Amino acid sequence: MHGPVNEVMQFIDLNAYSIVFLFLVGFIGGLVSGFIGSGGAFVLTPGMMSLGVPGTVAVASNMCHKFPKALVGAIKRYRYGQVDIKLGLIMGVFAEIGVQVGIMIQKHILDRWGEAGSNLYVSVIFVLVLVTVGSFVLRDALKMKRSGTEAETTTSLAKRLQQIELWPMVTFKTANLRISVWFLVPVAIATGMLAATIAVGGFIGVPGLMYIVGATSIVASATELVIAFVMGLGGTLIWAYYGMVDIRLVLLILAGSLFGVQLGAIGTTYVKEYMIKYVMATIMLIVAVSRFFALPKYLSQLRIISLQENWIGLMTKASFAIMCLALVVGASIILFSLFKARRLERLSTVGV
Amino acid sequence: MTTQTTTTSSSTRTETPALTASRVEAPRDRPFILALTRNGHMSEPVMEYALRVAHRLGYGILAVHVDTMPLAKLEKRSHLFAAAVAESVALLREHADRLGLAVEHLQTAGRIGDLVARLCRARKRIDFVIIDKGIRLEEVTRQSPVPVFPVVNRQQSLFVRTFINKHTHKGVSAMATITSKRHVKHCLLFGSLTAGLYASVFAYQDLVMTWFSKGGVYALLPVATVFAVSYFHGNFTSAFWSALGIEASRAGAGRQTSTRPAVPEPAVAPRRDTRPRVQLNA
Repeated sequence: MHGPVNEVMQFIDLNAYSIVFLFLVGFIGGLVSGFIGSGGAFVLTPGMMSLGVPGTVAVASNMCHKFPKALVGAIKRYRYGQVDIKLGLIMGVFAEIGVQVGIMIQKHILDRWGEAGSNLYVSVIFVLVLVTVGSFVLRDALKMKRSGTEAETTTSLAKRLQQIELWPMVTFKTANLRISVWFLVPVAIATGMLAATIAVGGFIGVPGLMYIVGATSIVASATELVIAFVMGLGGTLIWAYYGMVDIRLVLLILAGSLFGVQLGAIGTTYVKEYMIKYVMATIMLIVAVSRFFALPKYLSQLRIISLQENWIGLMTKASFAIMCLALVVGASIILFSLFKARRLERLSTVGV
Repeated sequence: MTTQTTTTSSSTRTETPALTASRVEAPRDRPFILALTRNGHMSEPVMEYALRVAHRLGYGILAVHVDTMPLAKLEKRSHLFAAAVAESVALLREHADRLGLAVEHLQTAGRIGDLVARLCRARKRIDFVIIDKGIRLEEVTRQSPVPVFPVVNRQQSLFVRTFINKHTHKGVSAMATITSKRHVKHCLLFGSLTAGLYASVFAYQDLVMTWFSKGGVYALLPVATVFAVSYFHGNFTSAFWSALGIEASRAGAGRQTSTRPAVPEPAVAPRRDTRPRVQLNA
């Protein structure tokens, strides 16, 4: 088993540029993850590949950095009383099943339509999921902001689902809800499948927890960290079993992302509840635009459309740049609102 | 060992002294609840529970602040401890005054088990002890002749509130300087541990890469390494932001869930009342 693996392995030499790049992307990705529960990972895989890291090693190392980051974030937010561990663990186990299903679908598509087909599938899923869910979350966030309500209301769907008494019912103390496991499973599996496809399960996990299960955005985003930890640990063990993890890359990303995740978690205690939804929706929609620019490349590879080579190159670059932009915008909103809220709080204490 | 005792009996000032007046014939006979803490500030749930039970039973409260670290008696620390205790006691007295309860206060140092045994022997009318968080239950029960109840505080946020209700923030902000120093210390400790870990991985990167990418059982090597990193570096980054003064909002930390009413537990049939009853046939 070790033989064929060793042939694939090409670990890159690190230089100052790649070290700084990984640290910074790690920091920003961590900041976003600490705040909205996941995210940031989607930039790292293409980012590492642009440094010359082979695709599988990039995916494996990304996965390996994700679970310690989620662990640290989850512990931090648990101290703030935001994490429902039971909910996270149950969801995490089923999400792991979703990951396996997602990988099977990926494999099937890879066999049937080749690499370009698989890439196209990933990008289409990206655009579809992010646009649908992202615009829904954004609409909700804007509605909350406009109405100026502090407390979140449970959606009517979640309320109805919580009323259905279907064995086995589980009570979640921190999330303050009681629901049948049967309604958690689809959300968890979808989270896992999305994680296996686009590396960020949270884009379904967090909205699913908010709108279908009925948790508040703070609890949902904090609990997503537990789900990400369980999924990440499982995934890492598999990748590491095949010897694909480049520990140096992981350590460099972690160096930055743990700084970020702490700050992101601190940020959640300051901002209004709709801010989490707002940041999440913003990132999702910008990323959707970025993946939209990546579509023509795969379409022309499959000879569905024909485009000039230089156009495709330009669009691919634009796609990556917009993806980075999504993270930077998200991170700046978080930092800006964190420091603004801190200043206000300090002023009010001094005033008293 | 320094011991200072102050007593205020404010039961005379109350207009509707519910049970207090009828049960207590003389202040000397007044039964007491011993509320024990080793923190500068008695946590709110303990204070609240003591006040509520004392009011209902017509008891007095004996609040005891124990400094369990008299050996580490740094000038500054004991000064700050005293300031925090003063604030805590002022708050307790304020509430007790409103309810018309008698409050005695004792600030002392020493071992908690010995102290409880000594107090219960010296004052016959301590009926039970309630202990604040930070005190181990066994430590007290081993030597206590009366029942001991720990007050469990599930929500971290409530603890914070005692700090905010203060007239002055002197003790609090001064205590904060100590924690900030601790953050710096943690920051240095975990920072150097993290640096050591990183340095060793990168100094021997060829060796590390050969072993870590072997696959199979060696998969545990990278996983164990990242767990170590999440512990060392996680603590370092946490202490780093805290040392810079960037910490969670005091108002927001507890605001985890909405104000929805708590989910009712699944219905359980009420327990049968098996107490003996008197029957009267006229």
